[in-house]
Amino acid sequence: MKKVFKRIGILLLIIFVGIQFIPTTKNESDAVLPSDFIKTFKPPENIKNLLINSCYDCHSNNTKYPLYNKMQPVSGFLESHIKRAKTELNFSEFGDYSNRKKKSKLKSILSQIKDDKMPLPSYMLMHKESILSKSDKLDIEKWLTELEQSTISYE
Amino acid sequence: MAHKKIKYSIIKRRKMKKVILSITIATMILTIACNENKEKVSAELNEETHDHASHDHENTAKTEDRVIEASDMKNPASTEIINAYLQIKNALVTDNKDGAAKEATALLTAFSNFDMTQLTGSQHKEYMEIIDDAKGHAEHIIKSPIDHQREHFEGLSIDINDLIALVGTDKQLYQDFCPMANGGKGAIWLSEIKDIENPFFGNKMLKCGSVQKQIN
Repeated sequence: MKKVFKRIGILLLIIFVGIQFIPTTKNESDAVLPSDFIKTFKPPENIKNLLINSCYDCHSNNTKYPLYNKMQPVSGFLESHIKRAKTELNFSEFGDYSNRKKKSKLKSILSQIKDDKMPLPSYMLMHKESILSKSDKLDIEKWLTELEQSTISYE
Repeated sequence: MAHKKIKYSIIKRRKMKKVILSITIATMILTIACNENKEKVSAELNEETHDHASHDHENTAKTEDRVIEASDMKNPASTEIINAYLQIKNALVTDNKDGAAKEATALLTAFSNFDMTQLTGSQHKEYMEIIDDAKGHAEHIIKSPIDHQREHFEGLSIDINDLIALVGTDKQLYQDFCPMANGGKGAIWLSEIKDIENPFFGNKMLKCGSVQKQIN
């Protein structure tokens, strides 16, 4: 019985070491695009910091990677997670969205924050700085609502 | 004898732990080396906003109001899209989450079946923007709980309404308005019947709303 456990342990260890060689592409770019949300809309300092700390890791072309990303399978999981997050909303390309899409996305951002769906609880667990306080949320909601109304109207 | 064996296995296990730990540390050190420029970009973002915040104010939130010219074309090409939309609407009226999801899939198919060759250049751009946005809403309706489906149905209704204005339809439709939807800001939807059947609240407030406009 013990032998079996030992073998399983060794096998798992080999797999663990083996998957470290699976390459991942990092979500990092050198330049900030002109279409970047912060560049385009120039939010006040506090809103800007909230966006960078709570949203930009997954929803932009630049992730500030945590230390635990150094290892598989975490890095692979994060890679696919960020990829999906960016197809949903990419702040780096927000300025290039059509006005219709901008408006839709702003509305979705607002409702996700209001309903506590974002930032993800699992993300906040690992990134204390991403947690939005009640007043943070109110600030962000107020500013985004104003922005939503100042962008294109549908009619 | 047995006692010895247990002791031996504990020592062995400890050894294993050590091995695992050292391999873990080794892999971390190996991979840690290639990560220096992460602070750089956020620094750049900081600089950028400071530099520009003072001067180009006119760039803030470009308002690009675009008025879609109402089309009174009796165009049957949009029928499949409109029918799928109306099916989503009817599912939401009856609080049927799975039905709405299924019909949203049909809407995606209808979008890909739409014949774009009849569109002019400027129409084409407008059409692509509407469809891009509407597809996003449909995808969320497919995978979301009903309250979230309804939120996206608000946006989808605007898209379909604009699509009809752009390409026309031969169907008789009613544009309805519910003042309570969209967090009290109000929202429109389209219906094939004159009676009010509210898709944003379903059974909770089935009769809330009024007809704003008749199409055809």
